[in-house]
Amino acid sequence: MLVEAIFVIASFTAPKEIGVNPQSMLWLLPLAAAIAVVYKATKLPTIKARNFIKEAAILFGSIIVFIIITALALHTLARLITE
Amino acid sequence: MARHSKEGPRFAGTQNQALFMLIVGLLAWLVPGAGHFALKEKKRAIIIFATIVLTFCIGLYVGSIGVIDLVGATPWYVVLAQIMNSPMVALLGRLTAGGDYPVYGWPNEIGQIYTSTAGLLNLLCIVNAVYLAHLHSAETAGG
Repeated sequence: MLVEAIFVIASFTAPKEIGVNPQSMLWLLPLAAAIAVVYKATKLPTIKARNFIKEAAILFGSIIVFIIITALALHTLARLITE
Repeated sequence: MARHSKEGPRFAGTQNQALFMLIVGLLAWLVPGAGHFALKEKKRAIIIFATIVLTFCIGLYVGSIGVIDLVGATPWYVVLAQIMNSPMVALLGRLTAGGDYPVYGWPNEIGQIYTSTAGLLNLLCIVNAVYLAHLHSAETAGG
């Protein structure tokens, strides 16, 4: 148990290897989820599991859709400028 | 004299209200969600605590504790956002101040983004807890 705890703590002392590739963009998903959950936890008048999950999921989806639209617009703009 | 006796309790009430809001704000900064917990908003407190601590820990896991660099080349606004998680982040910063945990590139970026976003989310929760404390004391004063 102690050895396992030491391994867990040790994993926080060295950075993970993350390549600069399109897959690394997926790191934004947990962050968007955290933002949606905390924001809805402060804004909803009462916290009820079903309603809370629904509201947080809608906000999470909205953030992702907006990011995708922005990415597509920037990609198109970059193509127009460079080609 | 009559004016003093009339305004005395009101002033004391305002002072108590300000002190209560200050304590709630400090609690919310010390431990994410503790401000809401003090206001008996237990569900909110648990959600806030779990989400902010998890986000902060993901940042540390990806970039190592080296992403908490209070005296190095990290921009001041990132340090300020990281400190908003809790004053205990400063203790972590003292641990990494010697430069024993170097981190560069993409893991550093992701680690800083996660830890500073967690701090900014906690700032939102601190402001919300203080506002709720204000509403609670206003309700109490109003009867």
